[in-house]
Amino acid sequence: MHQSWPFRIMIWLGVAVLLLWSLGPVYWTLVSSITPAADFSARPIHFFPQNFTLNHFERLLGINVDRIGGVEVWKQFRSALFNSVVSSLAATVFCVAIAALGGYAFTRLKFPGRRPLFIAVVATIAIPGYAVLIPLYRLMIGLHMVDTFVGITLIYISAFLPLALWLLRSVFESLPIALEEAAQLDGAGRLYILFRIVLPLAAPGLTAAAILTFLGAWGQYMVPLIFSPTQTKPLTVLIPEFATKNFIDYGLITAAGSIAIIIPALVVVFLNRYLISGLLAGSVK
Amino acid sequence: MTAVTAINMERKRGAASNGDAILGLIMVAPIVITMAALVFFPLIDTMWDSLHRINPMQPGTPFIGAANYTNMLTDSDLRASWINTFIYVVIAVAAETVFGVAAAALINQVKFGRRWLLAAVVLPWALPGVVNAVIWMWIYQPGAGLLNGILTTLGLPFDNHVWFNDRVSAIIAVTVVHVWRMMPLTIVIVLAAMQSIPEHLYEAARIDGAGRSKMFTSITLPLIRGAIAIAMTNATVSAFNLFDEAWVLTSSSLDTRPVLIQIYLETFQNLHFSYGMALSLVVTVVSLLVSLLYVLRVYHTTRFD
Amino acid sequence: MRREIFRSMIALAAVAWALPALADDAKPLAGKSITVLLPSPQAANIAADFEKATGIHVDMQTLSWDDIRPKLVTALIAGTAPADVTEFDWSWTGQFNAAGWYMPLQDVIDKDTVADIGVAKIFTVDGNLLGVPYTNDFRVMLVNKKQFADAGITKMPTTLDELVADAKQIKAKGVVQYPIGLPLSPTEGASTSWYLLTKAFGGDLFDKDFKPLFLTPDSAGYKAMALEAQLLKDGLVDPASTGLKDSQINDSMFAKGLTSIMISGEPGRLGQMNDPAQSSVAGQVIAIVVPTASGVTRSYGLPEALGIPKVSQNQDAAIAFVKWFTTKQFQIENYANGVLPTRTSALADLNAAGKLQSGDALVAQSKVIDPLFAQGTPTWYPQFSSAVNTAINGVAKGQVTVDQAMQNIADATQKAMTQ
Repeated sequence: MHQSWPFRIMIWLGVAVLLLWSLGPVYWTLVSSITPAADFSARPIHFFPQNFTLNHFERLLGINVDRIGGVEVWKQFRSALFNSVVSSLAATVFCVAIAALGGYAFTRLKFPGRRPLFIAVVATIAIPGYAVLIPLYRLMIGLHMVDTFVGITLIYISAFLPLALWLLRSVFESLPIALEEAAQLDGAGRLYILFRIVLPLAAPGLTAAAILTFLGAWGQYMVPLIFSPTQTKPLTVLIPEFATKNFIDYGLITAAGSIAIIIPALVVVFLNRYLISGLLAGSVK
Repeated sequence: MTAVTAINMERKRGAASNGDAILGLIMVAPIVITMAALVFFPLIDTMWDSLHRINPMQPGTPFIGAANYTNMLTDSDLRASWINTFIYVVIAVAAETVFGVAAAALINQVKFGRRWLLAAVVLPWALPGVVNAVIWMWIYQPGAGLLNGILTTLGLPFDNHVWFNDRVSAIIAVTVVHVWRMMPLTIVIVLAAMQSIPEHLYEAARIDGAGRSKMFTSITLPLIRGAIAIAMTNATVSAFNLFDEAWVLTSSSLDTRPVLIQIYLETFQNLHFSYGMALSLVVTVVSLLVSLLYVLRVYHTTRFD
Repeated sequence: MRREIFRSMIALAAVAWALPALADDAKPLAGKSITVLLPSPQAANIAADFEKATGIHVDMQTLSWDDIRPKLVTALIAGTAPADVTEFDWSWTGQFNAAGWYMPLQDVIDKDTVADIGVAKIFTVDGNLLGVPYTNDFRVMLVNKKQFADAGITKMPTTLDELVADAKQIKAKGVVQYPIGLPLSPTEGASTSWYLLTKAFGGDLFDKDFKPLFLTPDSAGYKAMALEAQLLKDGLVDPASTGLKDSQINDSMFAKGLTSIMISGEPGRLGQMNDPAQSSVAGQVIAIVVPTASGVTRSYGLPEALGIPKVSQNQDAAIAFVKWFTTKQFQIENYANGVLPTRTSALADLNAAGKLQSGDALVAQSKVIDPLFAQGTPTWYPQFSSAVNTAINGVAKGQVTVDQAMQNIADATQKAMTQ
């Protein structure tokens, strides 16, 4: 449809507002992290840094200052980053693997209780984490799994499994069954079909499920606050601690925030397509 | 296909279906075991424990029946946090829906660079909630924050204004952060629905002489109603579960405290575990009921379409 | 040949005899590693110095004070040690003793140390010493005497009325915009400030049966709350204080010369405030005894100790740290970092050497300190304190009246006691 000029201008204005709204705060955080602390209260405010400094990052990464307030900041930051990556990746790998196996079974294999089991599992999407938090906490205490990678990964898996399962099942269902039937006629076993034929075809769906799980696990706060308080503390728990502890130091906080933004930003930029298809499939409850 | 082959296939299928059943059960076993151990049994545990008194400071776990639930009725802090939560839900869902649909409509009109626009729009959703909260905490900061900076540059008297001192502005400030994070989800859902509306419907309307806004209200809106309902359900449940933003921005301040922070304080500050469990069950039920309202309403209205 | 063997054997014997002397027998625990959790900030070289002295590696972790207790509680309930040595605040003694989480130390800390540290009494419950006090925090008021002088005030206030009048004068003369530093956020610092003002009005929080004494308008606690509301209304306290903790007000306002009076002043901070490397008002800060309604000063103590959780895996090394941290030598050195020694001998030495800043005021104040809870800290203290600072926050934001606030605190106390 031909768009008139006033309409087009309106659209561009709208897009500008939308971009400003979505990216503005992120831009401001990045800019603040490279602005010297003295310039923070400068008025009138400058949207582009007048002076440039890497001092905040240097202190955060322990390049020229070893300890701030007696603490090895870089060491804490580095281990929190490591913890976030490990627990998120582990949760993603296992969650998607289990969901793929189960999803295929729910789709193509007939076994007793198939329908009720599926509904029961997917229905748990409606149960929020805090409703089971304390029994889980006591369970983990009993198993000595508090503050361990195994413990937190298990919890993340149980949190994101229903969604991944739902997503993968709809992906598998939409694959033409003819391919699998042909392979069956050729004498291929179920598992062979799954791994050699179905999974490669479902790669976009698997990627979407992986991204949703990864981002979900990466962004968890309340759960690791309780289940990963010290040794396995992730980035999301560390950053607010910074905010209350090194209060004056908005330079340090924005620097830490900038680093925490990088990984989700990379995922969004490069895996945009899969993320969005995942979001769509996942929300049609 | 000859009869023999057909019978062979049947036999294979018959044999396969037994093998299938066993294989199927094995393949779903990890899921079932995980969910049973980490969700179903804990949920039953929560329900059972909420009828007892469990407190690590005190010995024993006596059965106290519905006492936890009746205590909720006289808990004034809890009442305050429920009110706050409902305010968050109403404002957040309204803002996310209205602006989300508008933004989706906007993006739908953009042909060039839509992929990048979507990536930018989705970014706030992809970030961890606490990182968002820290970003906005810096923006709201009285002395050096961006918001006061912009307002004072425009000549308005907001130098060192403390946004969290006034209850209304504090609640709005927290809600803004929440909406910033959750609106992309609404946008994506609604946009997908908009993109599946067949072009010929618009063509027909144009031929009939309809203007843009008429097309929007009579074609687009009705057809995306289902998607809007889904988006609103998501928005409602996530607004009920608001925690990260309020915690980082205002910690335990009562005027902005949502019910989830109340649960956290009861459980980990006062160590009243069973009371916390009873509370969490109530919140779960309430948020599900409210979202059920939408689903039923949508089902009702779409029946006539 | 035999001579070779004989010589080698002598050599071997010599080496075998010398080896023990070469070994580090002054550092029996060398090579071990412990984690220590303390409130921020701490001196930068604690870990390094301790390692040099004992060979034990320290992973020093600091958190803002208000974040420490939830961290301790969630870990200890789970049966894991949040650290080998942790902060142990006076206000947690009731609750933590009831839960039995901390290792009794009376058998591993020598009697002389316990005798030298007066406030160790507060941490001794049922005969068990649960923590060794390391910082002797009692409250005074910290003032910027230069700003007082700039406003034309020569005599330090001894009554609350004088204090308010002085603040108004400082503001009127344009010396600073918000002369009084008072935290009003829902954090512990707000609670402790209110306790101090209650004491200043000549009253207490509870009677011996834990019945609230702050409900009537003529009670000390009520007046204290009303005073806080009034100070805010008169523009003497920064409105942003509703979101600031006491540590933040100290560091971002008082140390930068933006406020003149810290109501609940920590004497340990004198070192920091008068150190040019750490503050912009070096040389201008003194401590004064707490002005009261009657003119006769009172205050209370809130010492902090080092405790060792029973589930710590490195108890020996942890005990070594606790002992090292509370030696007279270290306490005198650490005073420069704002940690007021708990050993009476250390305090006496510092004062004699003239190094105890505002020594006379501190000594005078220390003579009239009572514990906040004469009956011992109750197990429900955290809930009580949270109700107090939530109420203060509500009053400051104009959302509840002082009457309602006091009633809310009393109700919360009642609920806490019965649960």
